[in-house]
Amino acid sequence: MNGSKLPGAQDAEKSVLAFLKTGLEKRCFEAVMMSHRVPAGDGYAYVLIKDPALLEGASPLPPVIPVQGAKALSALTRWGPPKETILAVMHPCEIRAAVELFKLKQASLDHIVFLSFDCPGVMPLSDYVKNPGEADRTYAAARRKWESAKMRPLCRICNEFVPAASDLHIGLLGAEEGSAWLFPVSPEGRRIMDSVGLETAVSSDAWEREAAERKTVREKERQEAHQVSRDRVSGPDGLLAAFSSCINCHNCMRVCPVCYCRQCYFDSEAFKLPPENYVERARKKGSLRLPADTLLFHLGRMSHMALSCVSCGTCEDACPMDIKVGQIFSLVADNAQKQLNYLPGRSREDPLPASVYQEEELEGVEKPYVETYSRTGDRDGAGSENQ
Amino acid sequence: MAQVLKINKSVDQGLTAFLEFLLKEKKVSGVVTLKKNRGGPGISYALITRPEELDGARPLFPLMPANSGKILSRLTLRGPLKDPIAVVLKPCELRALIELVKRQQGSLENMIFISQTCPGVYPLEMSVDGDLDALASRYQDQVQSGQHIPEIRPACRSCVHFTPQNADIIVSLIAEAGLDRSCSLVLNSKKGEALADGMAGEKREQDLNSQELAHFSDHRKTARLKLFDEMGEKTKGIKGLIGLFGKCIGCHACGNACPICYCNLCFFESQPNESRPNSFRADLEKKGAARIPAGTLFYHVGRLAHMSVSCVGCGMCMDVCPVDIPVGTLFSRVGESVQKTFEYIPGSKIDEPLPVAVFKEEEFAQLGEG
Repeated sequence: MNGSKLPGAQDAEKSVLAFLKTGLEKRCFEAVMMSHRVPAGDGYAYVLIKDPALLEGASPLPPVIPVQGAKALSALTRWGPPKETILAVMHPCEIRAAVELFKLKQASLDHIVFLSFDCPGVMPLSDYVKNPGEADRTYAAARRKWESAKMRPLCRICNEFVPAASDLHIGLLGAEEGSAWLFPVSPEGRRIMDSVGLETAVSSDAWEREAAERKTVREKERQEAHQVSRDRVSGPDGLLAAFSSCINCHNCMRVCPVCYCRQCYFDSEAFKLPPENYVERARKKGSLRLPADTLLFHLGRMSHMALSCVSCGTCEDACPMDIKVGQIFSLVADNAQKQLNYLPGRSREDPLPASVYQEEELEGVEKPYVETYSRTGDRDGAGSENQ
Repeated sequence: MAQVLKINKSVDQGLTAFLEFLLKEKKVSGVVTLKKNRGGPGISYALITRPEELDGARPLFPLMPANSGKILSRLTLRGPLKDPIAVVLKPCELRALIELVKRQQGSLENMIFISQTCPGVYPLEMSVDGDLDALASRYQDQVQSGQHIPEIRPACRSCVHFTPQNADIIVSLIAEAGLDRSCSLVLNSKKGEALADGMAGEKREQDLNSQELAHFSDHRKTARLKLFDEMGEKTKGIKGLIGLFGKCIGCHACGNACPICYCNLCFFESQPNESRPNSFRADLEKKGAARIPAGTLFYHVGRLAHMSVSCVGCGMCMDVCPVDIPVGTLFSRVGESVQKTFEYIPGSKIDEPLPVAVFKEEEFAQLGEG
């Protein structure tokens, strides 16, 4: 794959902004959707920009993910695609989530072109809001050196920081400090580069080598971190302890890009029970924690969305109790996805595993299960205490 | 003069002993109280039916993991309790429950309320990875030495409704010396008196420390005015509001933690409120740009319009905001001015109807004529 070195050598962000400005001016795309600093200067929001002058204050490499970009894209396209091309500048995990939402019929990708970049990770939202000005500077320095110490725990172990289903990709790894490459990943990406007037004559070899090296390191770190999480949360006691301080606000679910249900089952009428139900459960155990069914919520949510979980960490950012919910979900998601050889957001064509029927599937899981329960005679696997 | 029962134990232990007495003597079928989580960190409310399960109960713990008004509403949404339970809760939680009951979201039947003259609670984040026992003992030291605790939440620092008028039993905390050795329960209703009947302790006729409470109230009023003035200055006009809410991430955690926001499906999460492609196009044409998702400010202003008349200023919204927007202070301020207009204090009188539920032919004529 050949790309182009973006003009300008001071700062990669500025080079990208210059490219976007030219693209808007030449009407290669009608508008750009990207992070923009809010008026008070203490945060970022996704903004759809048509007027090139308003790119001032926009940030292709923002230090935080306040709203998961897939959620923003879904808000933009759920009721129909835009009429003309919109270039969406998002972190790779946001693009992967957007592809999942597209498969779940919650977003349209017609007339959407994705621009991704080698993602250095983002800072925890709570760290950022303590002192936004200082955090902006800390982040800018850390991302240039690809230092992950200040980034979110899930960003530190992210191994999918390179393009997945994007059309254009900004290469930062292996580039000289302050400069950036632009690579066309899809035919649509190439068309845009052509129309902006960027020649694609620079080989991507150096970038690919560097990215592959990083990826290998990250994969090892990811496995190590997941092993730590596994040791911590294994078994019912581990899980209970991990979610012990949960206040049941469900904010993890509300910010999750994949949890798109308008009405979550766990907030539905099914969980509004007559008082006798709560009193009876309290009597059985002597004490019932309220709100009830906190752990059930997390396990249920996990089983609903783990196959599409992109490990973006937005859940963890939004938890008022600092529960390591993203790290736990990421561990389970990786395992579930491996079982079905599915990587969420990898391509628009891979069907969602839950939407595909295969007569022979997951025998390794099924067989021991059947054998176990045929031995005990409890075939349906339900606990016998209720019978 | 009210009857006061004095138990010769620290206030926490005394109250726990009282709860144990209620369960053992079968005066109630259960108690709802804060309790340290078993098998992990944190503290939550629990419905306890067995006396031995009171081990770990911290009925007066200075934290609000959820507004218990919301919890008790969920408990009684489908119908009233059949047997009496005793509930230990903060005054703003009781007021929130009363508002919810007025909105048909629960029932007060068979609930006996034990509350406190409330010095306030710590922000939730102070409990994250924190030593709960150390936090509680620091709090008790500060309360019994008559200090205003600097670390409590802004909502608490500016709270003037710290005496739970509707509680059956009031635990005297504010300006109460010797919390480490005595527990004073003010029996504030016939139900409260009946409940305490037979409990070991010294009974006397006494009122709450009215003079000290008045002092406390003055201090709180000053703090409230100052906080509200600053907020008013900060949020002047649409520019001020954009300044405050610009960094909002649209998670709606504030609405979901709010005891008054009980709607199953918030209007702002409903289909009619979702932007259609045309509206983005219109914004692009008009302004050259559009924030996505749209309606950040609309949500907050709309929520204010929906619930401010019942806002009890409990501060839960602010505790759960992931980007530290002082949303509770703004809501309390606007809530107070709306409530003043209607001469309504949410949760203060059980029989008083909600202002929006009352039709008056002549009302706010001056507003309609402008």
